Formats: sequence, C-alpha cells, structure tokens
Amino acid sequence: MRALKRRKMTSFIKRLVRRKYYIYIILLGLSVFYLLPIYAMINTSFKTAPELAYGPIQLAKGFNLSAYGEAFQRIKQPYVNSAIMAVSATLLSSFIGAMAGYVLSRYRFRGSSIVFFLIIIGFYVAPQSILIPLVRFMGMLGIYNTYFALILTHTAYGVPITTLLFKHYFDAIPTALVESAQIDGCSVIGVFTKIMLPLALPGFAVVGIFQFTNIWNDYLYGLTLTQGVASQPVTVAVANLKGTTVAAWNVHMAGAFMSSIPVLVIYLFFLRLIVKGLLMGSVKE
Amino acid sequence: MFLLPAIILVAVFVYVFLGWNLWLSLTDWKGLGGTGEFVGLKNYIKMLTHDRIFMISLKNTLVLSGIFIGVTIPLGLFNAILLDMGLRGRRLFRLIYLLPLSFSFVVSATMWLWMYAPESGAINTLLRMIGLGSLAQPWITASSQSILSLAIVYIWQFSGFATLVYYAGIAAVPQQLIEAALVDGASTFRKYMSIIIPLQRQATVTTVVLLLMYSLRVFDLVWLTTGGGPGYSSQILSTYMWRVTFNRNQFAYGAAIGIFMFLLSMVILIPFLVAVRRGEEA
Repeated sequence: MRALKRRKMTSFIKRLVRRKYYIYIILLGLSVFYLLPIYAMINTSFKTAPELAYGPIQLAKGFNLSAYGEAFQRIKQPYVNSAIMAVSATLLSSFIGAMAGYVLSRYRFRGSSIVFFLIIIGFYVAPQSILIPLVRFMGMLGIYNTYFALILTHTAYGVPITTLLFKHYFDAIPTALVESAQIDGCSVIGVFTKIMLPLALPGFAVVGIFQFTNIWNDYLYGLTLTQGVASQPVTVAVANLKGTTVAAWNVHMAGAFMSSIPVLVIYLFFLRLIVKGLLMGSVKE
Repeated sequence: MFLLPAIILVAVFVYVFLGWNLWLSLTDWKGLGGTGEFVGLKNYIKMLTHDRIFMISLKNTLVLSGIFIGVTIPLGLFNAILLDMGLRGRRLFRLIYLLPLSFSFVVSATMWLWMYAPESGAINTLLRMIGLGSLAQPWITASSQSILSLAIVYIWQFSGFATLVYYAGIAAVPQQLIEAALVDGASTFRKYMSIIIPLQRQATVTTVVLLLMYSLRVFDLVWLTTGGGPGYSSQILSTYMWRVTFNRNQFAYGAAIGIFMFLLSMVILIPFLVAVRRGEEA
C-alpha cells in the first residue's frame, strides 16, 4: 500500500517535471508580482472609510461605490480635458508624422538622412532640458494654463516618434504601387491621399494608440503648463487627490483606477496593436 | 511641402528651446520679471563644485538607472525564455507582464505608496500574514532603502516591455539553426545558452537605449512618492531641477541642470544609438 503510494507520488512528480508544471509555478509567481499592486488598487477603491484600517490585502466587503462618487466629482472636468487633449494631439501628431515619414521614406534628397536624424533626436531629449523655455513660450502665445498649450506641446514632442514609426511603416510598402500610380498620372499629393493613406490605415491605428497612451499618461507637462481643474489633465487631478483629505486611500485609488480605464481598455482589447507599436519603436523591423 | 510642419515643430520645440535654455543657463535670471544678467559659466561652476545636493542627485540618478537596467534586462530575458517554452496560456502571461506599462506614473506612484506603507501597506501586511513579520521593511520611508524601493517600481513597470522585445527577438531566431543544434544533441539549456541568447544583442541594445532614456528623465514617480526624500536620499536630477526652478524660482540655475541632463543623456545614449544603427546595417 505504502509502496504503491510512493510510486504514485514519484510518477506524479515525474509528470510534473515533464509537463513543465514548474515553469507554470514560476510564471504564476511572477504574475503575483505584476498583479499585486493592481489588485491592491482595485480592492481598496471599493472599500468604505472604516474598512481601510484592515489594509489593502483583505478583500473589500462589497462593491461600495462611495469612493468613486467622491473621486468622480473631483476629476470629471480634468477627465474631459484629458480626453480632448489626448485625442487632438494624437490625431495631429500622427498626421504630421505620417506626412513627414512618407516623404523621408519615398524621396531621397540632399540632406534627407540628416533631416531624419535631427527629427528623431527630438525623441531622446529629456523634457527637463526644454521645460523652462516651453513655459515662457506658452506664456508669450497667451495660451499658458489652457489645454491648447498641452495639445501643442504633445503634438510637437510626438512628431519625432510618429515620424520614425511611419517611416518604417512606409519603408515596408512596395514602391511598385507608387510607380504605377505615377505612370497613371497621379500627382505627389494624389499618390499620398489615394494610395498611401489607405494603405497606412493600419499604421495609423498602431501609431495612434501608441501616442494616445503616452499622452494620456503624461504628468510633467500637465503639472507645468496648467493650474486648476479648468485646464489640468486627469493625471494631475488624480495626484492632487492625495494631498487634500488625510489618508483617504479609497478615494485616491478610485480616482487612479478611473483615470487608467481608457488605456487599460486599449491594452485588453488592442494588445496586438500595442505590441506592434512598442516593437516598431524599438526593434525596427 | 509635406515635411514642413514636422520640421518647424521640431526645430522650434527642440532646437530653438535647447538654445534658449542654454542661453538662460548663462544668466542669473530669477523669475518672470526681467531677463537677468549674463554671468557666463557661473551656474555650471556652482553646480559642479559647490552644490552637494546636485552631486547626490547625479549619483542617485546613475545608481537608480544602474539597478533598474541591471535587473530589468536579465528579468526580461528570463521571462521571454519561459514564455518561449511553448506553454499554453503564454499570451495571457504576456498580457499580465505588460499590464503595468499601461498605467501612468501617477497611478503607479499611488499603488506603490500603498504597497510600501510601513504600517498598513500591502507588502508588510502580507509578510506578517505569512509569519515573516520580521522581514517587514520601512521601504521608501527610510533613506537607506528609498532608491532601491523606487528601482523596484521601475522594474515592475518596464520589465514586461523588455520581455516583449526579447520574446520577439527569440521568435526571430531562424528555425533551422535551432533544429540543427537539436539534431546535434543539444539540450534545452544549451539551446538557449549557446544559440538563442547570443543572437539577442540587437534586442538588448535597443531595450537598453529606451530604458536608459526613461530612467534618466522619469520625474513623476519619484516626485509623487518620496519627493526626493527622506532628506535627499532619493533626489534625482529631474526632481531637483523642478525643485530649483519652480519652487525656488532659480530659473537660470534650473536651466543649467536641464542642459546638464541633455548632455548627460547624449553622452550615455549616443554610443548605443550608433550601435543600433550599425546593427541595422549589418
């Protein structure tokens, strides 16, 4: 009986090893590391104030939405600001990047590779190195403390990466298509709007999503260029939830979670596009 | 011309601003009124020889980047190899590992403040629950642990990205190479050590470039968790630059730190960028 048990046991272990169960154990362990903070945030956001004393791990008693109500009141205008800002700056920077990437991919002229290099260097310049002139410049334009300042800023600093992504994207489209259109008498603008843009639509999806997530998540420019809920983005408003009420972790977490929803939805439903954008920006293939 | 909008925007927002910032850093300009006098390299001399906090910030920035990249790269490679073992559910795990990247630093700062809180935080609570209460740490509230604690947050946020790049890099290894090795009797371990990992140079270089770029500029995460403290123990260049400029109104001095950050990132990044270009041509 005992021998049987032992044999069963060893064959179980053998099976475990053969089936790579141990890899699953490592993968699951790592998943805990990646998911625990997210769990703590969502769990805490559903708690009532007295429940907070039990710490972030113990499961909330129910889906209490009072923290959401309070957080929502404080971040709803910034939420709208962020939406306007992120959508406009995404569209503008993607479109400008598509035009530039198209020209740099299709036409070789004197200095074209230098122009390309000078544009993409912009991607590597830290915001802190241009922050003070930026604030002054927005003041001179008279749009400091409006979301126009943020739209302009995110468009400008988005252009290097959108140009890079679109250049790689257009590089992969065969030239034969363009040539045949030119023979048929299409102008440069005609080729761009009638052939390249439709072909580039999947590219727009990738670049657009990449840009939207970056812009939505920005904090530094919002903090520097805006003051007050009328113009500030949601990231700044969420950060401000912390200071006002003492240790209202549930409200803070509810606000943080609400501010994450648009990008989280994109990750869950368009992961393929996210992956493509991240890889296009790094391993250029 | 099609290029014009891009060229104008980048020329103004990157190059004109950099020049403007450089000029500001050579003055003693202190705020919105007036323009300040030209003082030459005075700000830089003060920064490099008299400012202890600047030196601490520089050291912290480099230490933080070092720990961050030193752990993220091997962890990303390790994760990618595990995912490459052909298990069911690997797409789900890839999603889980990538999820932290979706959050803004504001949100991750919020989460991790709650993770690290010494009394009621998630980590210390968990440690006590499993009977390891003696291992509970003060985390970001202790000067000796603040940088390490912040590095863990960076690693949490970016290692999924490194995983992704390596996963794609491993998938790009020609199948014939692997099969040839297996025919020759190579074990799984040998397969990875001798064939696949040496071919990941390009993926490593490009990941390091991006991680370096982020770690040199990240501001939000530190600003919203420790604010550079306790003391100056987690002050980094980006937070110090902000403090000097917008809290103390020493605009010219802040501009000098900004220019220093630009030079530092270029000195560190250019060798890698050159390596990326070489790799592309090869």
